[in-house]
Amino acid sequence: MKLLLFAGYLLVTVGAYLITRRIFLHFRYPLLNPVFLSTVAIIALLQATGGTLADYQPAKDAMTFLLGPATVALALPLYHNRGVLRKQALPVFAGVVAGSLATIAAVLLAGRVAGLGRGVLISLGPKSVTVPIAVEISRIAGGEPTLTAAFVVATGMIGSILGPMLLSAARVKNPVARGLALGTVSHGQGTAVALMEGETAGAMGGVAMAIAAVCTALIAPYYFPLFLR
Amino acid sequence: MAMLKQLPKIAFQILLLWLVYRCGTYLVVLLHLALPGNVAGMLLMFALLAAGVVKPAQIEAGGGFLLKHFVFFFIPISVGLMAFGPLMRQSGLTLLTIIMVSAGVGVLVTGLTVQLLHGRSSR
Repeated sequence: MKLLLFAGYLLVTVGAYLITRRIFLHFRYPLLNPVFLSTVAIIALLQATGGTLADYQPAKDAMTFLLGPATVALALPLYHNRGVLRKQALPVFAGVVAGSLATIAAVLLAGRVAGLGRGVLISLGPKSVTVPIAVEISRIAGGEPTLTAAFVVATGMIGSILGPMLLSAARVKNPVARGLALGTVSHGQGTAVALMEGETAGAMGGVAMAIAAVCTALIAPYYFPLFLR
Repeated sequence: MAMLKQLPKIAFQILLLWLVYRCGTYLVVLLHLALPGNVAGMLLMFALLAAGVVKPAQIEAGGGFLLKHFVFFFIPISVGLMAFGPLMRQSGLTLLTIIMVSAGVGVLVTGLTVQLLHGRSSR
């Protein structure tokens, strides 16, 4: 029975991905983001069938097993685009650091205006950084790691839908700029969407993800308190 | 199907990438780096490529396959948001608005900064 459920969730997730990927590649509209559509469909299915997250967990672990090697594979587009990195080191660093500082300031200020508690605010701080680092930053700063993990995932989703729309509206067409922006704010998921835009954008997403993670980890202890009370 | 014929090659190359990933994870622990293991693995692989130890062709099939389907991994991860149903019902709209605003600010600041500086230095 457990094995059947495992196989079932695996099939449903892969199936949802293949279908929504088709839809996205056909229309190329950010709101039709395959992760967003598939996630909504799978959560709806779990709720309708009385399935819980614990039931889904074994299938999830099996499916995310290759995320590590996939991230390592980002070295490939990075290597192909090493000329861009060498020639554009300043814009790349300046852009990612500025974006990281801005998104942290924005989330903490907006959270304070909305009257969120200190614990939730700190948990929101590292929301743009890849999960393993964000959780650590949150723990050290006095936040709630599981809450941070959820915010990171939500930011990945929101940024990868909203990001491409805003960039297009602001006439940011340069793939280097688009990839960096998506990776800075929406880590791996933003990088994944950047990869769908093209190889250069994808490579820059990976670069941004790495710089943003290190930068946020280094500045958090000094920068977060400026916006907390 | 072309992919089926390439399957052994893809599998072997993914194994190679996985080994580098494990090395990255190990390095982070060993050197107390402020990096997640997967990002350290990515930098390590980049160094191997730049040094010529690994040729791009040796990981292109497996790496290309994983990168093509990179978004897939975020579906099972995002399903985990289900656990936060109660919090979302209570203050979901506020949190959604805050995250949307801050994500928008970050994307625009990075995108415009890079495009501005990039345009200037490449002309």
